[in-house]
Amino acid sequence: MTALGWLFIAISWILILGLTVFCFKKIFEKKKVD
Amino acid sequence: MEKNRFIKYFGVIGIFGPLVIMIYYTYIESWTLAYSFFSLVQKYSSILDQSTMQEFLRGFQGLEKNQYFSSIAPAYVFFLITFIINMTVLNYGIRGGIERFCKFAIPTLFVFGIILAVRVLTLGAPDAARPDWNVSNGLGYLWNPDFSQLRSARVWLAATGQIFFTLSVGIGVILTYASYLKKGDDVALSGLTAVSMNEVAEVILGASIIIPAAFVFFGPMSIGNIANSGAFNLGFVTMPIIFGQMPFSEVFGFLWFGLLFLAGVTSSVSLAQPAIAFLEDEFDISRKWSVMIFAVVTFILCNAAIFFLGNGVVDELDFWGGTFCLVLFATIEVILFGWVLGINKAWEEVHHGADMRIPAIYKYIIKYVTPVFLLVVIGAWFFQEWLPIIRMENVSPENRPYILATRVGLLLLFLVLAVMVKIAWRKRRTKARGT
Repeated sequence: MTALGWLFIAISWILILGLTVFCFKKIFEKKKVD
Repeated sequence: MEKNRFIKYFGVIGIFGPLVIMIYYTYIESWTLAYSFFSLVQKYSSILDQSTMQEFLRGFQGLEKNQYFSSIAPAYVFFLITFIINMTVLNYGIRGGIERFCKFAIPTLFVFGIILAVRVLTLGAPDAARPDWNVSNGLGYLWNPDFSQLRSARVWLAATGQIFFTLSVGIGVILTYASYLKKGDDVALSGLTAVSMNEVAEVILGASIIIPAAFVFFGPMSIGNIANSGAFNLGFVTMPIIFGQMPFSEVFGFLWFGLLFLAGVTSSVSLAQPAIAFLEDEFDISRKWSVMIFAVVTFILCNAAIFFLGNGVVDELDFWGGTFCLVLFATIEVILFGWVLGINKAWEEVHHGADMRIPAIYKYIIKYVTPVFLLVVIGAWFFQEWLPIIRMENVSPENRPYILATRVGLLLLFLVLAVMVKIAWRKRRTKARGT
């Protein structure tokens, strides 16, 4: 695995997991308000 | 929009695309059910090498008679079971069938995926004689960029088609589901959550399982060879052998193919939804009869995919239905959304009932960048590949009549749907005049 490969995997995983956490946070906030 | 005589026919692609995918998808889906069952009864547990596993798959697909299968009958039985399961789920409607099913299937799918990903990522380098065949290089096989491929329009078309396919965008599926939403539903958050969860399943879990595992056990050359033997063969040849080299192989095999089957059913029921909703809404046919009509038509068409698999019919259907139509329809959708409906009105609709604000830059991305990007991808593909595709240059001479027949069949199917749309609109006009 090249350094560029690791970079791609790291960026993808961070973005995807970050977005997923953000979405679930928003969903739980919304449920609390409802 | 209703004043334009031709614009209504764009909607045909939204029914045509998923219908074409459904024709072969149900059959591939049935293989996963069969392999889950075969794993449980240890039908392929004694097979330890790749060529014998390919023989097993070819026997199952009815492409040859061998020690494992003497006819296509087992595959056909599993197809019938899968088809009946799909139609039963569809018959109960979205809330009764699809929604209830997804509530059970999706969390199960994630649990299966996490177990398998952890197992593969902890494999290390199982063959001491080949230390290079390790998980790190397996991930590299998938993630190391090859920039030379960016010159191929087909790669761009396939990549665009892939992301649209997995998000059900560009095949009328999301449009159909969206029509069932309430006015105040949060489309922005639902859409973003669907995308993020899809990427977790596809990029984080999916990309950590099959390719790295295949690399670790067979090396880089074999992965390409198996993939070239058929668009859907890699998983069915590689994974059973990989599981065979792990402890609790029957359980792992059963879980893996069970996961794929559950994922497949959730997709195929949504693929059927546009055509069924079209029959229900435009022709006032009851849900039960719409499903029945759909079942009869798709059942007949599925047989072409089953019996002419070896002649390249499935790969042909997959290209037109699962790649080209998706990108074409998504291009039409984004132009209608950003330009015909108007980006300001569209923006208002997206944010109706939404708690979050989408960054304003996406207004410009949706209006300018996405349509230009998609038109360039289609244009470049057309420029690079149009003639070879028409001439069937990549098709072997003996398969050309089958490919030609498939293309003529697809054209006829499209025309039949266009006529149905015309009838539906005429009906709608007559009804409007009467009221």
